[in-house]
Amino acid sequence: MLYKRKWPLLLFIVPGLLFMFVFLYIPFVENIKNSFFDMTAIIEMPGTKWKFIGLENYKKLFVDQDVKTAIFNSMKMMVLTVVFEVGIAFVLAVMVSQIKKLQQVFRTVYFFPVVISATAIGLLFKLFYNYDGGMLNQILEHFGKDAINWLSPELAFIMVCIPTLWSYIGFYFVILLTGLSDISDDIYEAASIDGCGHFKQVFHITLPLMKPVFFTCVTLALTGALKVFDLPWVMVPNGAPQGVTHFLGTYMYQVTFGLSNFDYGSTLAFLIVILGIVISRLVGLFTKEKEEGR
Amino acid sequence: MKKKFLSLLLVGVMSTSLLAGCGSSKTNEASNTGDTNEGQVATTEDTSKKNPVTIKTVSMFGGTDPNAVVYEAVNEEFAKEYDYITIEDNSQSSDEDWKASVAADFAVGNEPDVIQFFTDATANTILATDKFVTLDEIRAEYPEYAQDTMDSALDAVTNPDGVKRAVPTTGYWEGLYCNKDLFDKYGVALPTDWDSFVTAINAFKENGIIPIACSLNNVPHYWVEYLMLYASGSENYTSVPDKAPAEWVKGLETFKTLRDMGAFPEDTDTVDDAYIGQLFRDKKAAMQLDGSWFAGGVTDTENTVVIAFPGIEEQKAEAGAMVGGISSGFYITKKAWEDPDKRDAAVKFVEAHTCKSAVQRYWEAGGAISKAAVQVDAIDGMTNLAYSALEYTNAATSINAPTDSRLGQEPYAIITSNIVKISTGAVSVEDVLNEALSLYAQRNE
Repeated sequence: MLYKRKWPLLLFIVPGLLFMFVFLYIPFVENIKNSFFDMTAIIEMPGTKWKFIGLENYKKLFVDQDVKTAIFNSMKMMVLTVVFEVGIAFVLAVMVSQIKKLQQVFRTVYFFPVVISATAIGLLFKLFYNYDGGMLNQILEHFGKDAINWLSPELAFIMVCIPTLWSYIGFYFVILLTGLSDISDDIYEAASIDGCGHFKQVFHITLPLMKPVFFTCVTLALTGALKVFDLPWVMVPNGAPQGVTHFLGTYMYQVTFGLSNFDYGSTLAFLIVILGIVISRLVGLFTKEKEEGR
Repeated sequence: MKKKFLSLLLVGVMSTSLLAGCGSSKTNEASNTGDTNEGQVATTEDTSKKNPVTIKTVSMFGGTDPNAVVYEAVNEEFAKEYDYITIEDNSQSSDEDWKASVAADFAVGNEPDVIQFFTDATANTILATDKFVTLDEIRAEYPEYAQDTMDSALDAVTNPDGVKRAVPTTGYWEGLYCNKDLFDKYGVALPTDWDSFVTAINAFKENGIIPIACSLNNVPHYWVEYLMLYASGSENYTSVPDKAPAEWVKGLETFKTLRDMGAFPEDTDTVDDAYIGQLFRDKKAAMQLDGSWFAGGVTDTENTVVIAFPGIEEQKAEAGAMVGGISSGFYITKKAWEDPDKRDAAVKFVEAHTCKSAVQRYWEAGGAISKAAVQVDAIDGMTNLAYSALEYTNAATSINAPTDSRLGQEPYAIITSNIVKISTGAVSVEDVLNEALSLYAQRNE
């Protein structure tokens, strides 16, 4: 027993718990309640009474085209996050783990975008993509090509995904690199003596031993993709162009603060939480099965 | 024992750090500290007998608003003149978040003593709390209150329930800014009707100049107003029907016509209003429909002019019809009024900002082109832009308040948020208008 008396620990735990209750759980319950009322303002003003509308907002979810777009885009983002963020991070981590010199430099370089605020990255890429005087179009013009509208309805989703995915590769890179360092060099040495090449070692040693780390990364990537907000909002606010880049987070923000439709915004917020719980549970079940089957 | 002490100390530090930095409002400390500079104080009454009083003030004159400089200067002078009054000011530019926080303050009883806020339907939410003093009540106690303000200006800021509460400073208008040097360069006449407007759009398009700087995704509001006004005429435009009128529908359908003509920038669906303004200032775009506040940012004031909206096909509005008015003013809350010390301080504060000399300064800060609520004195050395604005506003055949002043923010947002889809034909204008009007009816049941 590290501590005989527990009360000093409570002193540290209780304030945090109270904080969570006041600023997270109570607002969350309030948010669910709000989704059943027709809110005329962000809070019920004295002298006014909100009308109870039951499940109206939930019915609207099924016919709202923008919700479908937002869910579809969020799902696509989840797949892309797992494939590109975790995938590229793994490739980089494997390669960096093979080198001894400059490993710290690569760690820093790849991790650097994670510490830059998403707003700054969004503004940076917005300047790259600008139709008038943007960096990419300046390059095209230099080679005598016509300017391209990089954020046209056809290209916008991909263009938003590029910085969103790029900015978080470093995060998974560090987690995976740490996982790789836990694999004993003896195993690789034994494999080499048995004639197993570097490429085969990745598939037969690294990948199987890294499963738990992968599952953590996938869980973080999937739930993180569901919460994507700041970067798309800075680059293409209101689902621009023409609503094709709506994600659940951006659409919820637009509905709540752009359209002042607070009750429908509360419904969308609740939907995001439900989807988050469902997805993390599914990933949990999937990884549990895999780990048990190992 | 040391560990216990350390634990308690840490908890204390953590709790303190969580609470630190809660208040960030700017304070103009005018309370008597004993070393007041005598030369700076020009009191008209003996302030030494007054009780020290702190008034909480809020205004929209913050951020990059050209009025912010004047507002702060007037506050500083006020603080020097009335050394027993401390101003706790919390001003910022108006946006949806700010409006929501103001509404929240009124709902929970944290309203300021004086607030400069909207007077149209935007104010309905906080008017419902019945926390403002009326102009009549104030004048019964202070007969000279708002004496410099013109009656027409006070009428213009009458709240939607027909009661006067606010005292305004300046108003605004919306008009078509044109880079006249581009019109001269390409031999294009300034548009005066739909045909000449189309000619100008085509001419600029052919010469690689963006005809109209507009962000349909961010601020299409000015176009919404003028297209609806000119399609339906003043009377129909300023009424709120139950169902979408054919004229409103026709007006908004012009968005698609203009888009198909290539009148808007290629990236109009994604860019914001600041970028659009820069396109116009950089002479990459020929025309921009905007408010009087845009004039403050125009750098080439000699080659930029403001003209009346040219019109649309088969328009019903008379040429020269203008969108504009006065839609904000200083309110005093009951919280301040019911406190004898604060009452006098609040009245003095509003008078300091709405007297002739202060309004003159606000008017000049806005480029001397907006509509002032008092009789202002003309200034020397007016720019071409200011002259053209004066000519434009003097020639206006009617002045019409914009649609959001009648519909309110929530129904109006349904229209503006759908403009991109309207311009591409992805949604029916009639459906969008009906949704907005039905919400308006619901809110006003």
